[in-house]
Amino acid sequence: MDAAAYPLGTVLKLIDSDLVTPPTRRALKARLQLPQVEAPRFFDDQAYAMLGAVCARLIPQRERRAAVDLPGLLDARLADGDGDGWRYATMPRGAVMHEYGLMGLEQTAEATFGSSFVRLSGDAQDAVLRAVQSGGAVGAVWSLMEPARYFEELLAQLVDIYYAQPLALESIGYAGMADARGWQAIGLDQRDAHEPAPLAALEGAA
Amino acid sequence: MTHALHPAPAMRHYPPGETVDAVVIGTGAGGAPLLARLAAAGLSVVALEAGRHWSPERDFATDETEQNKLYWTDERLSGGEDPLAFGKNNSGIGVGGSTLHYTAYTPRAQPDDFRLCSDFGVGADWPIGYAELAPYYDELELFLGVSGPSPYPWGPARGAYPLPPLSLNAPAQLMARGCESLGIRTSPAANAALAAPYYQEGFGWRPACTNRGFCQAGCSTGAKASMDVTFIPLGIGAGAEIRPECFVTSFERDTAGTIVGVVYVENGAEQRQRCRHVFLCAGAVETPRLLLINDLANASGQVGCNFMAHTGLQLWGQFEEMVRPNKGIPGGLISEDTHRPADADFAGGYLLQSIGVMPLTYAGQVARGLGLWGEALHAHMAGYNHTAGINILGDCLPANDNELVLSDELDARGLPKPLIRFTNGDNEHRMTAHAERIMRRIWDAAGAGEVWAFPRNAHTIGTCRMGADPSKAVVDADCRAFDVPNLSICDNSVFPSALAANPALTIMALSLRTADRFLQTRGKAESAL
Repeated sequence: MDAAAYPLGTVLKLIDSDLVTPPTRRALKARLQLPQVEAPRFFDDQAYAMLGAVCARLIPQRERRAAVDLPGLLDARLADGDGDGWRYATMPRGAVMHEYGLMGLEQTAEATFGSSFVRLSGDAQDAVLRAVQSGGAVGAVWSLMEPARYFEELLAQLVDIYYAQPLALESIGYAGMADARGWQAIGLDQRDAHEPAPLAALEGAA
Repeated sequence: MTHALHPAPAMRHYPPGETVDAVVIGTGAGGAPLLARLAAAGLSVVALEAGRHWSPERDFATDETEQNKLYWTDERLSGGEDPLAFGKNNSGIGVGGSTLHYTAYTPRAQPDDFRLCSDFGVGADWPIGYAELAPYYDELELFLGVSGPSPYPWGPARGAYPLPPLSLNAPAQLMARGCESLGIRTSPAANAALAAPYYQEGFGWRPACTNRGFCQAGCSTGAKASMDVTFIPLGIGAGAEIRPECFVTSFERDTAGTIVGVVYVENGAEQRQRCRHVFLCAGAVETPRLLLINDLANASGQVGCNFMAHTGLQLWGQFEEMVRPNKGIPGGLISEDTHRPADADFAGGYLLQSIGVMPLTYAGQVARGLGLWGEALHAHMAGYNHTAGINILGDCLPANDNELVLSDELDARGLPKPLIRFTNGDNEHRMTAHAERIMRRIWDAAGAGEVWAFPRNAHTIGTCRMGADPSKAVVDADCRAFDVPNLSICDNSVFPSALAANPALTIMALSLRTADRFLQTRGKAESAL
């Protein structure tokens, strides 16, 4: 579990210090203060519930310090039309892609387990997701869109949202945002004073 | 504070109704050097840039998501068997263009890169060669303040870099360790980021690099030689006008086909700038797209053809030692021992470089390349601080099926989105396989675990080929369009072959040469009157 890897609270403390530049602080604080999305603007309620269940398997957050509203932030991106500059020519536009994709996941769940995705056990949900990722998923929708490409797009978007969160970055021991004075200790096994050391190393030293 | 050190020079403004000597479209590595050169020669110059004019210290955050504003995010369609990622992978926007997010890697191309067809019977030769560009490489390295090793271990003899190399970060040290045990020569790389404070003509003092490691998401200090802290202020000081947030859509031409005005959209309203000459420098996607939309300069049918992207395989590994790959210049170490490997079963060659990486970029590669999710994703990312990479940058042959065309989908402006088809050929596959074998040996020797390869192609190249034959090329050796009397094209689109070197320095060299050749022929035309 990530709680054991790097100390808690380092990034929040750094953000308020003069080791973080004003534009960096503005960007990070704005992201930390985003409210949980109450009502989706892009997805309908059924698709949104389904997306929530998918997110919980792809990037599980139980026992993790960052609580990232993955479905809410993906919904916001799609509603605002934020793109990353390209898409696979064989894939439909973002709106249609997710409509097809979530419908396809549901069809695969029904065909494989005779149940809606949201009612399946975690293990069964994972089996559905693995089938889509490997391209071998059952479901009529998948004849309209490559399942493996959809999985790649969905996962890449969620990962991009998750690791944008300062607390998710803290969990992997990253303090790169605190570079207002630059870095001096850039070689192997070196650490600048305000970078967090792994807890195991601290315990080992004690 | 840099605001006090670098007061923006008062910028001259030209009324759109005035006929200026030159309109430059795009302000990256292709447009910025030539606009400064033309202005310094006394020409009236207006540069139209689609993006904003940022103040790095005020506007650039050490945060990858916030810095998405530096990437061209209008949607492009990626086809072929190896569809390319655009946006942050290779396409910038803003005054400075893609140099706002380039890694500052500035190796020179080598002489044999320009004659691939003569040496191997495949690909294309350039109509100019190393000899024509070498004086510009010299000038640029001095002007930009390139930090690098002297002497440089590969290629022809040359003068010393103006600054010593930057300090090696942990990925560079690891690659040095692995290569040393295998007998592969390495050297600190040449980077256009400052090892010491440097006086920039037209701008003032630029500070030494502070090892932020965020080059690919924008340098907030001015240590990296992006165009906005080098040629752009030089050009403004010489009288050029930079007009940001202006998106060019079409051209006005007279009955002889000469361009008399450039049409662009600013704040939602259409504007026109009258001019005597146009320099189109919008990069290897937007340049051909604009020409195709306007059916311009394409009597050869070559606009959009021969799209290339460097072989760019990345090999990642995790090490026992703490690496913290976000720190230091990302490409600290180079080897060009693989420029023409003795055991090659392919044409051309590649260079090897160490790479650091920002966390969100790495996580995105893990998602797309490894497909990890759930607890396996968390477990892998927990090793981020122990991650280091090696990257290749290799030649890519032009191929018939690799091309840019207009799709039938329209963007928000009502213009067709570009469709780029790209498939690696046999030569790229063999080169990449050769590289992966060597890179795995290096990483094994350096002690890496969790080694994995991320297949990738880098940069956008080709689509408006330079050549001697108007039936097979779009521009001549001076980058002048064959079919339009007063149009020059200068960016990575004119490259006839990809070159086994990162393109920015060579684009800038071409840009200065294009300006000088233009001024020489213009001088002759005037004295003949």
